[in-house]
This record gives sequence, C-alpha cells and structure tokens, in this order.
Amino acid sequence: MIFRGMSRKLPLTILTGTMLAASVVMAQESNPAQSPAARPRPKPAKIEKYPAERVQAGERLFVAQCGFCHGRDAAGGESGPDLTRSELVAQDSRGNKIGPIVRSGRPDAGMPSFRIGGDEVKAIAAFIHTQVGKFGAFGGGRRTVEPADLATGNASDGRAYFNGTGGCAACHSATGDLAGIATRLQGLALLQRMLYPGGRQGPKPKATITPASGQTITGTVAADDEFNVTVLDAQGAQQTYSKSNAKVKIDDPLAAHFDQLAKYTDADMHNVYAYLETLK
Amino acid sequence: MMSPLRVPQIAGIGICLAVSAAAQGVDSKMLVHPSADAWLTYHGNYNGERHTSLTQITPDNVGRLAMVWRFQTGQTQPIKASPILMDGVLYITAPDHLWAVDAHTGKEIWHYQHPPNNAFHIGHRGAAVYKDTVYLTTPDCHLIAFNARDGRKKWDVVIANSDKGYWSSNAPLVVGNHVLVGVSGDFDNVPGQLKSIDADTGKLQWIFYSTPPAGTPESKNGGATGGQMWTTGTYDPELNLVFVGTGNPTPVLNGDARPGDNPWTCSIVALNPDTGKLVWGFQVSPHDTHDWDANEIPVLVDGDFNGQPRKMLMQASRNGYFFVLDRVNGTSLLTAPFATVNWAKGIDALGRPIPNPAKEPHRDGVLVAPNESGATNFRPPSFDPGTGLFIVSAQDGYGIYFFKPEHGGYGWAGADYGVAGRSFLRAIDYRTGKIAWEHPIGDGAGTAGLLTTDAGLTFSGDNRSSVMALRTSDGATLWHDDIGRVQNAPITYQLDGKQFVVVAGGGSLYAFALP
Repeated sequence: MIFRGMSRKLPLTILTGTMLAASVVMAQESNPAQSPAARPRPKPAKIEKYPAERVQAGERLFVAQCGFCHGRDAAGGESGPDLTRSELVAQDSRGNKIGPIVRSGRPDAGMPSFRIGGDEVKAIAAFIHTQVGKFGAFGGGRRTVEPADLATGNASDGRAYFNGTGGCAACHSATGDLAGIATRLQGLALLQRMLYPGGRQGPKPKATITPASGQTITGTVAADDEFNVTVLDAQGAQQTYSKSNAKVKIDDPLAAHFDQLAKYTDADMHNVYAYLETLK
Repeated sequence: MMSPLRVPQIAGIGICLAVSAAAQGVDSKMLVHPSADAWLTYHGNYNGERHTSLTQITPDNVGRLAMVWRFQTGQTQPIKASPILMDGVLYITAPDHLWAVDAHTGKEIWHYQHPPNNAFHIGHRGAAVYKDTVYLTTPDCHLIAFNARDGRKKWDVVIANSDKGYWSSNAPLVVGNHVLVGVSGDFDNVPGQLKSIDADTGKLQWIFYSTPPAGTPESKNGGATGGQMWTTGTYDPELNLVFVGTGNPTPVLNGDARPGDNPWTCSIVALNPDTGKLVWGFQVSPHDTHDWDANEIPVLVDGDFNGQPRKMLMQASRNGYFFVLDRVNGTSLLTAPFATVNWAKGIDALGRPIPNPAKEPHRDGVLVAPNESGATNFRPPSFDPGTGLFIVSAQDGYGIYFFKPEHGGYGWAGADYGVAGRSFLRAIDYRTGKIAWEHPIGDGAGTAGLLTTDAGLTFSGDNRSSVMALRTSDGATLWHDDIGRVQNAPITYQLDGKQFVVVAGGGSLYAFALP
C-alpha cells in the first residue's frame, strides 16, 4: 500500500477523502463569520459594567486557557481571531453566547472544547467585554487587514485567469453562484473564501457507499477517516459505515481549491480577488 | 571510528533487562543505557530516535493488541506529554499537573497540582527524572523537584519571569547533574534562553542565549529577540554535546525590524552541557518571517552516508525541509523538502534554504507554503535503523501572511491566516531525502508523534481519534483503535515479560499489550 503521490492524482478516491470533516485545524478563519479582522468592530448590544474581581478572575482564566490563540488581551493571538471584533461577543450578555462556544469548541476551526462552570464563563465574558470597551476607546486592531490593503490586483487580468488558465469557470460563474459575491463578502473574508471555502459554511463532500451486500447509499459526509465514514441520510440522521466492508467513494468539491493553491502566483491571487470584487 | 554504527543506548535496551528491576532511581549511566523496563527521558533515550529493540509485538500479532488499563487525568487539557517510566512508575504531565501512576495497573500513586497562574496553558511535554527525583516545569516558569516515591517537594526555583511573557511547557533534559530547561515566549520581544540547573540543589549553572540580550558583546542577531528552546534536546555522550532546536525570532512577522540572518534563531545549536558554550550552530531558516521554529527534534543517527560512516543529526523542520548534518561539526550532508514549500529560492553553499523576499509577509498578503503551523511541529518523529526511514507527521499547507508598518515591531507584529492543510505520515529515506511512502491522516495539522520498533512496526495516530500501527516498510495499516485524538508520541517498554505500548488519547493514557 504505497500512498505516495496517489492523493494528488486521484482526488476523488477515498484516499484524499479521509477525514475531510474531521478536524480542520488549519481551516480556522476560512469562515467569514470568524474573520473579525476583516470587519469593523461591531457595536455591543449594550454596555455593561462588571465587578473588578470578576474581570480579574476572568483575565486569569482567559490568559491561561485562551490567550495563546486569542491573545492575552483577546485581540488575536497565534491562530485565533481578535475577539474584540467578534460579532458573537457583541451579541453576548454575561456569557450566554460565549459559554456554549467555549463548552462545545469549534472543531472545524481547530478550537478545542473546555469543561467550564457557569461562574467561570461569566468571568471570562466579563474580561472579554471589558477588553472590547478598552479597544473601542484606543483603537487596537493589531492584526488588521483592511480591504484597501488587498486592492493591488488587476480585475481584467483576474477575469482572464478565472475564465482561462485558472480553470475557475469549470465550477463557478460570475452570473451564477458568484453573482453579488462582493456584496456578501468584503476584504479578507472574500479573499479567504476565494482561496478555500471550507469551514462550517463551505460545501461538504459527498460519499457513495457500496456495502458488500445491499443497496448503494449516497449522502453528505459528516465525518470521514481511514476506517469509517459518517453520512447524513435523507432525514438528516447520521449513519456510520465501516470501510472494511463497504466500498466508499468520496467526491470532495474542495479538492480543486486545494490543488489551485499550488498554482496561484501572488499576482494571480490578487488579480482574481480584484475580479471578484467587481461582482457586486 | 564508529563501529558498531548504532549508538549503544539502543542496543542496550534489549540487554539490560534485569539491571534496573531492583534499583531505585536512575544514574547517569542508566540515562545513557536505559533498560527495556524504563523510558527515562522524553525521547526514551538520548538520541531521540524513538525506536525500540523490543520485538514481542510484531506485524503478525499486532492485530490482537488489547487495552490493559486506562488512566484518566480528568482535565480539559489533552495529554501532550511523553510519559516517563522509572522503577515501574509512570510520570505523566499536563499544564500545572504531574501524576505518578502505577505502570502495572494505571492507578494513581500521587498527584501534584500547581497553584493557578496567568501564564499560557497550551500544553505540556513531560517530566524528567534523575536519581530519585522527578522534575516538572510549570506554565509560570517554575522548575520543581519532587521525591519520586511520594511526590514530596524538594525545591522550587523560578527559571524565567512569566510576567515578561515567558511560559514553559518544556520536558527537561538531564545530562550528568545538569537539568536543561527551556521556555517559550514569542508574543513579546524577549531573549531566547536555555538554563542549566543543578540537579541536586536547583542552583543555576549557566544560561545559553540564542539571542543574547541587546548590548552584550556576543549579540550579533540584528536586533532580533526570541529563538526560544521549548522542546527537549538530544545528547551525544561521546562528543559530550547537547543538540537543541531554537525557535523563531521576534518580532515574528516583521522582518524589517531585525535585518540579517538573526542567528541563532530557527537553528540547531550544539552546546557543551558543562559550560553552556556554543560549539556550532546551523541555521535552518535564516531570517525567518513565518513563525517556523526549528524546535523539531534533532535526531542522532550513526550510520553510512554516501559510503562513509558518519555521526549524523537529522531534523525534519517546521519550514518544510529535511536536514542531515554531520553532528561533529554541524556541516550539511543533505537538505531536501519533505512537504510543499514555496518560500525559498534555492539552497546555499552551507545547505541552508535561501528565503525568497517576495514570500515575506506583505501589506496585500502573500500565499505561503507551509502555513504557520508548519510542515511539521512539536510532534516527535522516529528513525528506523532497519530501513533507514525517518518517519515524520507532515503537513502540506498554505497560509496568507500580512505585514504593514501599522502592525508595529512588538511580538507578533503582523497577521497570518491558515488557508488549508492536508496531513500525512511520511517516510523519508535519509540517504536521498526522497519520500519512500506516505499515509494520509486527515485535514489540518497532525498532533501525534511516532514510535518505530525493530519488529517493523510504526505507531502513531490520525487527525480524528485513532491510534494506529503501520508496517514500517510500506506504511500499510495493521491495527487501529479508537481512543480519542492522539496528541503525544507513543512509548514502549517491557514489564513483567510483556511489551507495552502506552499512548494518550485526549485526556487519557492507554496501555496496550498482547493478551
């Protein structure tokens, strides 16, 4: 069983399909909903004051458990987004939105889950909201990428690449699925979506499962690894099949996007981005 | 001359079975020649090969491997540490925690919990042992010595100021009476430091600075700080040299603030363990601007290279290149990519990749391979002497990197975003740098380290929830079990006549053996 090179040549076989949905550690930020740096800071629903002891307790918890990814000041760290620009944080009241995310994690974005009590959630929320207030006053934005920063490409070269060498037009259309894309997404969020539209809102792989006996099943892949595949059936229920006694073919709509990453020059990337920006 | 060509501590595993059964604690000789019923250092021995001569578990019978016990930490944090096994007791860590666990039953013997503190709790790599003492680093940069038998604290010293942005996840390396401890810290512009602490007293012996503090005569790093040594090094007793990988420079993405190559960041350094003096350095990423620490394990292999017997050092580095050096003097024997790379213009006369300035972070963003989490990372590789294969958890990944002057010159100083990645276990032929086989393990970056055995088995995990045994010669899966995501490297030892494989899945430690 020599795997070398097979994944690239046979992008539709189970070899590349393994664990597409399992743990997309590097796909963080590819979801526009999680690209706070791409947007101006949202206005909190209401400004609340928190007791100093609670903020301090929250800071200790936050720095120790969350700070590496989200920054000691909650304004972005090694891999996690700037929470002071988060829409979810803006909508949160005393942990009612933050708590569930902390407890369940965001496996598709590489965020682990934390077992954490109600008081701890309230303390962490108090610290994050206090930081939002601070950055509201002082600017922040250490990791910002503004739409103007990205505007270096040539839209007509981008259109030529899209319809020609890039091969984008094989799956996409400026008047079809991409019509109005630049109205829906701007700046970094648009660039990320263009490069790799993964994450929770991205297209999901489809599996075709042929058991040793019985009917062929097709479904949207919920989880996939070398040993098992889990698909959603027509009713939305999860069904898991062992690959040891079924033939499984995975059709991954993102495979072409991944392969394209090796082909883009930086100029191509900026040109296609400039072209997509015209699709309002 | 090197004959036999294998470092003796490997051969020693099979031979010294009976020696330490009655012994209490370990001495320097046992660290050089660990017995089969022990795993005395992070790597199991000094050469970092993570390879065992134990052969009870074979490709033919591995399918019958079954769980013997499970130890649950009860913590949110997964286990990322390699357990230490000494005198039938396993020592396993998580941030702020150290447990002593009966290796026969998986039952807790004692537990230390460090007071809550503000430092980063992102993971912990493991404990260290010497004589009857267990050493633990803590997130807030304490080094604490415990009596191995009952967990009584012997001493507690501070190795760095965590208020300045240092934290520690380090599994110390004990060489003689030196406890070598490193720290982390690339969110702040702080010097890279490795400290040697007296194993008996906790007193400071020396400090090696990878980036000497500004103003000191030896400072030639172009204004760079950083270069932290947060993983565990390796040691060659014959050369009396310790080999350590150093981390990325700070400010991280702003290369303009620190012109030049920025030695000794993103480097492999050879140090005299008695003095802390640099004997040689080899920079795997000159002037890094992508957070590609060279902290991956410097694996020591004795064998032929181009027909000549050599004392080699091998590293599959986070920057995507595999390096083979002559570890006597640090000269390059081979440099070859083992994952997708697009950031170098070529290889220079010294064997170092030449960074392409066009792939440094820019205002409008550049698409770079690997991404920031790297072509590999902390997860330890393994070298299999039988096949000459260096097996590593690799990632083909892309990220977009941004820097503009508004991002400043402190800490991260820029922005980068991972785009996508695919992970593989890859077997590199050290003689050519060619990939002999690869085994997909899922999307994103891998977390499981490697272990190879003389029986021809490779143990590791996938990116979902399985521990696996592969055939080392071709990467075929021979056994797997669903234990939760593996985030440490499996270890092995022989106890009561049985070969155990011990590996973590999530926050639990599992022991497997044949029925």
